[in-house]
Amino acid sequence: MKTIIFNKHKFQISNEGILFWFHKQIAIISDLHLEKGSSFGYSGQFLPPYDSEETLKKLFKGIKNHNIKKVILLGDTFHDKNAFNRMPEKAFFLFNSLIKKYEVIFILGNHENKLKIDNINLLNEYVIDDIHFIHQALQKSIFQISGHFHPVATIKSSIKKITAKCLLHTNNHIILPSFGTYTGGLNINDPALKPFVNHKSYVYMLTKKSIYKFTSKEVEI
Amino acid sequence: MSDILKIEPIDNWLKKNNWAIYNHQIETLNLSEKGYDVLLVAPTGGGKTLAGFLPSLNDLINNKPKKNNLHTLYISPLKALTIDVHRNLTSPIEDQGLDIRVETRTGDTSAYKKNRQKVLPPDMLMTTPESLALLLSHKESKDYFNNLKYLVIDEIHTLVNTKRGDLLSLNLSRISSISPNCKRIGLSATVKNKNAVLKFLTSKKKAKTLNVEETSVPKIDILETNNRVPWSGHMASYAIRDIYQKIKKSSLTIVFVNTRAQAELVFNKLWQENDNNLRIAIHHGSLEKEIRRKVESLMSLGKIDCVVATSSLDLGIDWGDVDLVVQIGSPKGISRFLQRIGRSNHRFDEPSNALLVPSNRFEYLECLSAINSIKNKLLDETKEKKGSLDVLAQHILGVACSGPFQVDELYNQVINAWPYRNLTKIKFFEVLEFVKNGGYSLKHYEQYSKIGINKDKFYAIKNKSIRNRYRLNVGTIVESYMLKVKLGNRTLGQVEEWFIEGLNEGDTFLFSGRVLEYQSISNNSVIVKSTSHTQPKIPSYAGGRLPLSTELSIEVRKLLSKKKNWKNFPSQINEWLKLQSKFSNLPSLNGLLVETFPRLMRGKKRFFLICYTFEGRNANQTLGFLMSKKMQRIGYKPISFVVTDYALAIWSINEVTDVNIILNDDLMLDDLYEWLEETPLLKKNFRDAAIISGLIERSIPGQKKTGKQVLFNSDLIFNVLKKHEPKHLLLEVAREDCYRGLIDLDRLSEFLKRIEKNIAHEKLDRISPLAVPLILEINRQTIDKSEMEEYLLEELENEMLSEVGLN
Repeated sequence: MKTIIFNKHKFQISNEGILFWFHKQIAIISDLHLEKGSSFGYSGQFLPPYDSEETLKKLFKGIKNHNIKKVILLGDTFHDKNAFNRMPEKAFFLFNSLIKKYEVIFILGNHENKLKIDNINLLNEYVIDDIHFIHQALQKSIFQISGHFHPVATIKSSIKKITAKCLLHTNNHIILPSFGTYTGGLNINDPALKPFVNHKSYVYMLTKKSIYKFTSKEVEI
Repeated sequence: MSDILKIEPIDNWLKKNNWAIYNHQIETLNLSEKGYDVLLVAPTGGGKTLAGFLPSLNDLINNKPKKNNLHTLYISPLKALTIDVHRNLTSPIEDQGLDIRVETRTGDTSAYKKNRQKVLPPDMLMTTPESLALLLSHKESKDYFNNLKYLVIDEIHTLVNTKRGDLLSLNLSRISSISPNCKRIGLSATVKNKNAVLKFLTSKKKAKTLNVEETSVPKIDILETNNRVPWSGHMASYAIRDIYQKIKKSSLTIVFVNTRAQAELVFNKLWQENDNNLRIAIHHGSLEKEIRRKVESLMSLGKIDCVVATSSLDLGIDWGDVDLVVQIGSPKGISRFLQRIGRSNHRFDEPSNALLVPSNRFEYLECLSAINSIKNKLLDETKEKKGSLDVLAQHILGVACSGPFQVDELYNQVINAWPYRNLTKIKFFEVLEFVKNGGYSLKHYEQYSKIGINKDKFYAIKNKSIRNRYRLNVGTIVESYMLKVKLGNRTLGQVEEWFIEGLNEGDTFLFSGRVLEYQSISNNSVIVKSTSHTQPKIPSYAGGRLPLSTELSIEVRKLLSKKKNWKNFPSQINEWLKLQSKFSNLPSLNGLLVETFPRLMRGKKRFFLICYTFEGRNANQTLGFLMSKKMQRIGYKPISFVVTDYALAIWSINEVTDVNIILNDDLMLDDLYEWLEETPLLKKNFRDAAIISGLIERSIPGQKKTGKQVLFNSDLIFNVLKKHEPKHLLLEVAREDCYRGLIDLDRLSEFLKRIEKNIAHEKLDRISPLAVPLILEINRQTIDKSEMEEYLLEELENEMLSEVGLN
């Protein structure tokens, strides 16, 4: 875990990509993209249908040993409007345990526009103290924690380039990496992320074993 | 034997050109006339191709079968060869004014021409295994091949025991079911196991092999030089001046190298020597097609003095009057070398002329062994391979695309293909399930099934888009993602994405024979500019290194183990070996020499262990992993290891005292299976199998990767699949390919059996002469990449954060 001070609040990021706000007993996760694998089935591409199960297990494992009461999912929890109905039994069971055990806040993602699930409310925004939880970062001077972009960063060592998922922290923004098993990434040099990257940015690169913190200057631009 | 073929126009044409008729040409014709399928095994330049076409030409000329039917299909492993053979066949046809239409069809053929060929088939069509698979996936394919009379397969030995061969074999079996009376002629270079090639060609009982012996012994020398032959490395820079002198004395030289990097470097160095302004060109697989074609045609017109080439020029193409073949570096296998020297004096009754240039000392021994092997007519053996199931999956979908099929009928067709003859029905159904809906035990995709059963119990594809997607993914060659290299408006060729990812703006590298400066990537192209630099900053890019063949490795050990062989060696090699025998010991013919000695490395005392296995780099690599694992368990604390084709060096913190324990075979193979599951090798093989079988799709050139829509990462799928269905079909394919291919399991277990109780351990107090080349390799290689990443990141982070005062 590494600590991030964000508008005087203390957050912790785990190398799996879960952001903790221990003071409030909250875990924040973004872009689960459940059933992304099976979404390709329509066109005859049959990827192993176990990605939702993997993603949810990883989520449980990541939070169960911490004293967490609330889980905030920053949107694109489901890959498409039918994803919920496609979930295999095991994944479905895991999902139900999650919403039973924790208070889960669902933020609405761009993949979920037409998604409807009984008893689940998708919010455009959720606010605690002065922190706004949204799916896609806005160019406003409020303090925001968001997802959407699936940021990855590349750093060049003397021998080779290393690319990994990352959390991006710039002034009033925290942008979380995607958590879903089959999700890819967008390099933080991409024009789409430009408004949220500047010389004051920090990049937390997440690997299997650890978290490495860099300034944006060190990460290839 | 008569001296005419009794095919008048062809006889006339031969006479006009003053060309003789070979006996094997007449025999091929006669056997085929009598209804035999024929495998013609002959050295290069024996009029093999003409022999292959004689039966078909005879039928077209004398029996005049009805028009607008495909009469003869010619299949070759190389596009370039189809074009060359097309040209060679057109010559007698035009000369004699014959009414025979010959056309090519490959990936390069225009859509217009392909369509026309569908409506109005030529008499003879020349194509590749992949294009054939595509042709057979059309709905009209049954009608198209219905009247096929002859099938000619060129360079067939290169396809046997490969995935490409699997695909071809399955399609040949389909053609048999469409036109059972079609006669086959296979053309092969000299190979050890002719029977396997014949079985691959045909399942008919009425089949014969015609074997043509080499009549002249090739003249092969090793380059004599006054310069020192280097200890290690592969670039042979020391020999450039000497090679240039030889080129000067010949009219057309081909300089063969083993990798593209070598090609670029040798080409560049030759031009630096080129005071006489000789016309020297370069030819390798990454260069743009137009550039390659231009070089080829200049060669056949005699407008070039020398070509530096990789295997892109290996196969039977006739490019004019080559009178010298230079091979830089060891050819790594005897058959391959024979094929290459066959390029010179492309007529089999004249001796070929070849010059070998070893790029380091071990290679000198290897080159000498290659010459001995050729004198003794030894040949490499290819390991037999079962038909791959990922290829079968692709084929089943292809069959479904061409029209509804019955399961039993298809199964019988499949086992009629030689590589699949032992395929059980259970396995077949497993593959069929995979094609239908992924073959998972969790039935998640049944409603999306790609192929379904109709009411007559026939299987058929669900919709047209499946056919279109199949077409984009056909083939068994999985390549890295390629980018075009652009200099201004000119496209110079293609280069792997990973190579460019390692470059920074302003870096210079060798490509297409010149030093280029990297500027940027845009629209899937690498933008470069010319530069005045003569030395590139990024020296090379790897690719295409072949491991030493078993047969050649035996020859090298023979050579080393008998001192009386050494007297013909040049003095520097001789002295090197003498010193070794005085200081330590020499590798024996059947045993294993192991040396251990302490040595300082980065200021710290380390213990080195060297095994002189001569088993090729793949087997050595695997052995290295296994040995270090065992050393770890025993507590020797291994740090890392390096391999070459000949030997392996491991260094550790503690001294290895008992070598026998580390090399005991039972325990080691257990480790292997465990280790394999964790290697990038398995992942790589999985990726290939996933693409060939159609689980994930090929990246289509020109398709832009955008943000989150990156192409599906096969590693993610691999991890999930391994966890949930470790016995899934594709994982099994990947494992099998691993055992067979890069880790060379068979060779390794044979090795371990052979050396059991035959290990000579030399305890030395310092490095031996034979070990020097290996220690020099250390700078080039490293051990566990992922561990290294963690370490590098940690180091970088600390460095940089303290630099900006944040730590």
